[in-house]
Amino acid sequence: MDVSNLSIREINSLFTKKELKPSELYSKVFENAANSEAALHAHLTLFEEENIKKAAESDKRFSSGKSASLLDGIPIAIKDNINIKNYKTTCSSKMLSNYTSPYDATVIEKLKEQNTLFTGKTNLDEFAMGSSTENSAFGLTKNPWNTDYVPGGSSGGSAASVGARSSIAALGSDTGGSIRQPASFCGLVGFKPTYGTVSRFGLVAFASSLDQIGPITKTVDDSRIIFSSISGEDNRDATSVINNQLDIPSDNTATIGVIKELMEDGISDEAKNEVNKVVEILKSKGYKVKEISIPIIKLSISIYYLIAPAECSANLARFDGVRYGLRVDGKTSYEMMENTRAEGFGAEVKRRILLGTYALSAGYYDEYYGKALQARKEMIDEFAKTFKDVDYLISPTTPTQAFKSGEKTSNPLEMYMSDLCTIPANLAGLPAISIPTGLSKDKLPLGVQIMSKPLSDNPLLDFSEIIEKEVQFDGQPKGWL
Amino acid sequence: MSLKPTIGIETHIELNTNTKMFCRCAVVDTDEPNISLCPTCIGLPGALPVPNKKAIQFITLLALSTGCEITSKGMFHRKNYFYPDLPKNYQISQFDLPVGLNGELEIVIDENKDYIQIERVHMEEDTGKSSHSGSGRIESATSTALDFNRSGVPLVEIVTKPVISSSKQAVAYIEELRQLSIDLNISEGRLEKGNLRFDANISVAPEDSTELGTKVEIKNMNSLRSLERAIDYEIQRQTKALEEGVEIVQETRHWDENKEITSTMRSKEGSADYRYFSDPDLPNMFLSEEFIKGVETLMPLLPKAQREELMTTGLSLSQSNILSKSEEWIKKLYVKIFDQTKDSVASYNWITGELQGQMRKANIEVLPEWFNEDYLSEIIELIKSDKISFTSAKIILTEILTTDTTPSKVAEQKNLFQENDSEKISEMISQIIKENKDIVERIKSGEDKLVGFLVGQLMKQSNGSVNPGMAKELLLKELED
Repeated sequence: MDVSNLSIREINSLFTKKELKPSELYSKVFENAANSEAALHAHLTLFEEENIKKAAESDKRFSSGKSASLLDGIPIAIKDNINIKNYKTTCSSKMLSNYTSPYDATVIEKLKEQNTLFTGKTNLDEFAMGSSTENSAFGLTKNPWNTDYVPGGSSGGSAASVGARSSIAALGSDTGGSIRQPASFCGLVGFKPTYGTVSRFGLVAFASSLDQIGPITKTVDDSRIIFSSISGEDNRDATSVINNQLDIPSDNTATIGVIKELMEDGISDEAKNEVNKVVEILKSKGYKVKEISIPIIKLSISIYYLIAPAECSANLARFDGVRYGLRVDGKTSYEMMENTRAEGFGAEVKRRILLGTYALSAGYYDEYYGKALQARKEMIDEFAKTFKDVDYLISPTTPTQAFKSGEKTSNPLEMYMSDLCTIPANLAGLPAISIPTGLSKDKLPLGVQIMSKPLSDNPLLDFSEIIEKEVQFDGQPKGWL
Repeated sequence: MSLKPTIGIETHIELNTNTKMFCRCAVVDTDEPNISLCPTCIGLPGALPVPNKKAIQFITLLALSTGCEITSKGMFHRKNYFYPDLPKNYQISQFDLPVGLNGELEIVIDENKDYIQIERVHMEEDTGKSSHSGSGRIESATSTALDFNRSGVPLVEIVTKPVISSSKQAVAYIEELRQLSIDLNISEGRLEKGNLRFDANISVAPEDSTELGTKVEIKNMNSLRSLERAIDYEIQRQTKALEEGVEIVQETRHWDENKEITSTMRSKEGSADYRYFSDPDLPNMFLSEEFIKGVETLMPLLPKAQREELMTTGLSLSQSNILSKSEEWIKKLYVKIFDQTKDSVASYNWITGELQGQMRKANIEVLPEWFNEDYLSEIIELIKSDKISFTSAKIILTEILTTDTTPSKVAEQKNLFQENDSEKISEMISQIIKENKDIVERIKSGEDKLVGFLVGQLMKQSNGSVNPGMAKELLLKELED
């Protein structure tokens, strides 16, 4: 038995029974990091030294029976767009390569209260813009299943780390699929909670109305534990909501909808097969399953690539060399700002800032951004209507298995298409989860995505756990332990 | 060609909240730079805005007090432009849904009322302060120092419709707005501290034209005096240009306080398109009916109503206006003295004339402790009952402002009580007639004005203690005999 393969509840039970010490688990996780980091580059920074003391404190709490938290002593990796006080937050950008945060994100405060250990900060696509972790200013991250392939993105470092067991779980952020897609590519559970249930305070904003922090874990239960620890209304985030969970069934009295538009062209047979496999299992368990059509889903990518860039064009305006981060001198203040932004941002970030600036410009607002808002509202209404009919929606998480590094970098549109199935949940603020279900013929993981109505995160996790149990995906990338 | 000017005014009022608009940093009044900052008001990555309820209350109060329609769905917008003292490089402001729309403010010029239509009342956050060295302008500065204490301080902007036609009206409008903000207790209303800052849009067009001329915006008017002079200058400049057939250019001009002229300001780079869009960090903000009702209960007696109340005591409109714009203790003192004496003119004159005049002369800012406000009523009553002369009353006031004593004591000590005993006065008159036989002869031969000389002699000899009215009456009677 390798302890780094265990779930959080299993580990906690060993800690409590004094059969395992937090410091032992911690050593094991960093051993795994030593074995994998050179090949995978999941972490940008490892906090090894800093954690020795903290692990020892966890040891003490467990040996004296004083630990009250499931996450006490659990090593968790943090995506490097979430602020941890006195550590760098780079967002994988040259712009912030020297930036140290003076404050903790709310989720970090909450995890610290639970005595969680942080393994370090993980790689991402610059400012979370991308689907492959190839847009990092500090080098690519590789897929632990096969290093020729991307781990997905933008939370690719977090997924690769949990995959290679250099952390027990990880936090990512999901704006258009950035948790679920890499989780699916790496054979893990990735959960994007209902918009507003997890505070965004301290998460470096990409697209504020879409961003949401969530866990990447080995099991659904691990995601549940982390979600319950990091969620809750936060008076520092005006978009945060009271986490009043709805009571909807997760047993076989529930009705499941298969989204027709996400089982058509553009989706690989392998991805469809995973959905069909799960559907058959559910039917055999007595669940009612029906095909559901939500035509507006076909507009998801168009809507997303107007709204997200528009918001990011303003969110990223603050990176100007004036107060922090990179500064490239110029003859005037304006020239300094221009030089800084020209040198500090990578190509994809610039592309999105330009797209967004254009979409908001006088004369184009109504035609682009305004229309996108309207379509988004229609999509929200469509989902609300759909959820009167069904309790859960099922689809592939990604149109295909992971793609090869470099395969899509020259074609941004093709790269954007890889988020086709995940974007609708962000646009509509729905909770959505990716569950690993099988392997492709290339021996790469595939997963399915389940969505439900806002504030039904807990039932969604319960339902996902049933699927997880039935599917019995026990795949694990080889060679890192 | 007869030309008429049209003026619209935009005023920014700095609200006197304890904390900033979107973070809980203290609003400070200090020259020490950068002492009241946090991640939100300096735009650190990941920081989020949370609205200040008090500031929204204040803005709603101002909007209600000017009779505006309240937009209950007040949405915050981002106004995008790059400037080093704007930390996020966008300002959180309001765009198409301001808190207040279509209001009106009553102003008073001499004995006439006028009404200034208000287009909108909206909220925004202040920027930091830049100090450019090497030159006053950012384009040519060798360096720029930044102070973010002011960054995020709540401002309310009040925009009039283009309905003002003279500098006199403009000044009366600002005076009224200033008093309103003080009475609402939403601002200190101190112009010299920049609590109120105003810009004017000025255009000139033929008298019979239905369209407005090309507007020019004037900035940097720091006092009522500069507002008046800048408007007069600009009207003259534009009138002359039109008369000479020179085209007016739409531009922003800068008022030069020393040269007393306006001159072209270079326009801010990138200011043409602010790309307003709803701030996704502050969605769905709305003012509930309950909130608005709560604000209504905070409404004090407005300057307009104060004037109406004062006029019922018998004061003229302009007197009521002056009182309504006086300090609170003056207003209260008037009400009290009027209540006691029922003489509005005497109360008004003694308070706004003698009392304030003597205090100014003696450099007294607050009434001394021993100064019982009833003394003023006592003085007024003494005059009215002919016990003292007006001249004596002034002497008494001077005395009680500087010495711990009472009006009657002073009158006693200084022998200021008037001689009202006709027998005693007649005795004195006989004496005077004896001493001035030649004058009496001249009066009898028709030089009536010499009567005054004799009265003067009488006052002199009696140390001013004789009732001058009675003295004259008795003297004339004596001369006739």
